[in-house]
Amino acid sequence: MNSGIDLQGSFIESLKDLGLSQGVAKVLWMPLPMLLMILGATVGVLVCVWLERKVSAAVQQRIGPEYAGPLGVLQPVADGMKLVFKEDIIPAKADSTLFTLGPVLVVLPVFLSYLIVPFGQHLVITDLNVGIFLWISLSSIAPIGLLMSGYSSNNKYSLLGGLRAAAQSISYEIPLAFAVLAIVLMSNSLSTIDIVNQQSGYGILGWNIWRQPVGFIIFWIAALAECERLPFDLPEAEEELVAGYQTEYSGMKFGLFYVGSYVNLVLSSLVFAILYLGGWESPIPIENLASWFGISETNDTLEIIDAAVGIAMTVLKTYFLVFFAVLLRWTVPRVRIDQLLNLGWKFLLPVSLVNLLLTAALKLAFPFAFGG
Amino acid sequence: MFNLLKQVTDYAKETIQAAKYIGEGLGVTFDHMRRRPVTVQYPYEKLIPSERYRGRIHFEFDKCIACEVCVRVCPINLPVVDWEFKKEIKKKELKHYSIDFGVCIFCGNCVEYCPTNCLSMTEEYELATYDRHQLNFDNVALGRLPYKVTDDPMVTPLREFAYLPKGISEPHDLPKGSQRSGQRPEDITQ
Repeated sequence: MNSGIDLQGSFIESLKDLGLSQGVAKVLWMPLPMLLMILGATVGVLVCVWLERKVSAAVQQRIGPEYAGPLGVLQPVADGMKLVFKEDIIPAKADSTLFTLGPVLVVLPVFLSYLIVPFGQHLVITDLNVGIFLWISLSSIAPIGLLMSGYSSNNKYSLLGGLRAAAQSISYEIPLAFAVLAIVLMSNSLSTIDIVNQQSGYGILGWNIWRQPVGFIIFWIAALAECERLPFDLPEAEEELVAGYQTEYSGMKFGLFYVGSYVNLVLSSLVFAILYLGGWESPIPIENLASWFGISETNDTLEIIDAAVGIAMTVLKTYFLVFFAVLLRWTVPRVRIDQLLNLGWKFLLPVSLVNLLLTAALKLAFPFAFGG
Repeated sequence: MFNLLKQVTDYAKETIQAAKYIGEGLGVTFDHMRRRPVTVQYPYEKLIPSERYRGRIHFEFDKCIACEVCVRVCPINLPVVDWEFKKEIKKKELKHYSIDFGVCIFCGNCVEYCPTNCLSMTEEYELATYDRHQLNFDNVALGRLPYKVTDDPMVTPLREFAYLPKGISEPHDLPKGSQRSGQRPEDITQ
């Protein structure tokens, strides 16, 4: 199969031609994709915040941000600037170390998870062979940070919010892991690249969403709960808990929570797109289109178009899912804490378990369709 | 065994029903997205208050006979009427008059009962100040006329729903020369 553009390979090759050793060239290469990914994630958050505000406004028949830049696109930047310049208050009786550490511990793992998000065959920071497992394990660090910030705030609302966040994350981690496990079972690999490659070849028909009709719903519900998005935003339910664990935070520490929640939403949508919507694959495979028009697969222009379409497809799928999450926010009312735990333990857990067993059985019965 | 099976089917049915309802809800929110905004872009656009609008009270000093009816009908005796009896003309002479709009509830009783019509309601509603004592209007401040929304070059005046021509429910970009349903006051000649 054609591997497409290998930026890393050609960058290192060209540096070696300039007389540098392999090691030095690799060290020079390494910060580039990382910086690009952090930049991408940050811009992704700004777009996400803008989209959230605009879509919310449209659903409520308002206009939304309008005057900060064309169509209000600079509004999230203005929000961010406000948070940067705001006074950073640590409550007198709070534990200042834990209070500061909390938001950091929430944001870092989310950004770290971008390590394994692929935008193309070689457009990924590291192709770990435990890729998707890394995401699941990193996402279980965040509740510790939430609990930490809730407990250290010395405020009953913060504590309740932190406890709820921990309970929610622990309950929904398990169905999430089972849903991912079913995918992993079919693609015989934990690597995100392999998971996408396994879906490629048949365009939209090859995507995992057709092979995992139950799995993708479970994953989406669990991912919304992990991100604390609206049907499951009990930890920060403003009507009950002021703002949950964020109550005592202000300035950039609050900004970190804010950024973290949106990065997490974008990340979950990205992972959903990779696991179920074929990642960077377009609905009609580019290779097929090329062969219909009689263009050879190794054409340079085609490879560049292929990479560009790959990135565009991933981003498009991701933002469609973000849009769907925002729409869900204004459609579904918040669940109570008992309903949340009931849904997690009594519905999602058994259903995801059955889904996993069914996938395993189907894999044994029809190895050609379910990745033997 | 049958009991368990029934439980499972009931649960599955309920789940499907719930999913159907969420789908219906999503349909509603999605449909709202294509509708036009109903909001007024406030500092740049303002609604024209109706003629029955109860805004800040206007007071005409020269018409007032200092009868204090406004004080008596006011729920909290708010208007302050400062007068002196002049023996030579056998009449009360008004010296000061004030209403504190920080306390006034704009019920309009004083306007209703004023025997000489020296009190009237205006369409002014932007009364924000930095100090609540600035809302205590004396007879000079009460005598000022409010700025009309339709005269403000910075503001696009929008008609309220009841003042739109028949069949139009959106005040933005009205057809040229369009008129509200019914006659305008100046058109009624009798």
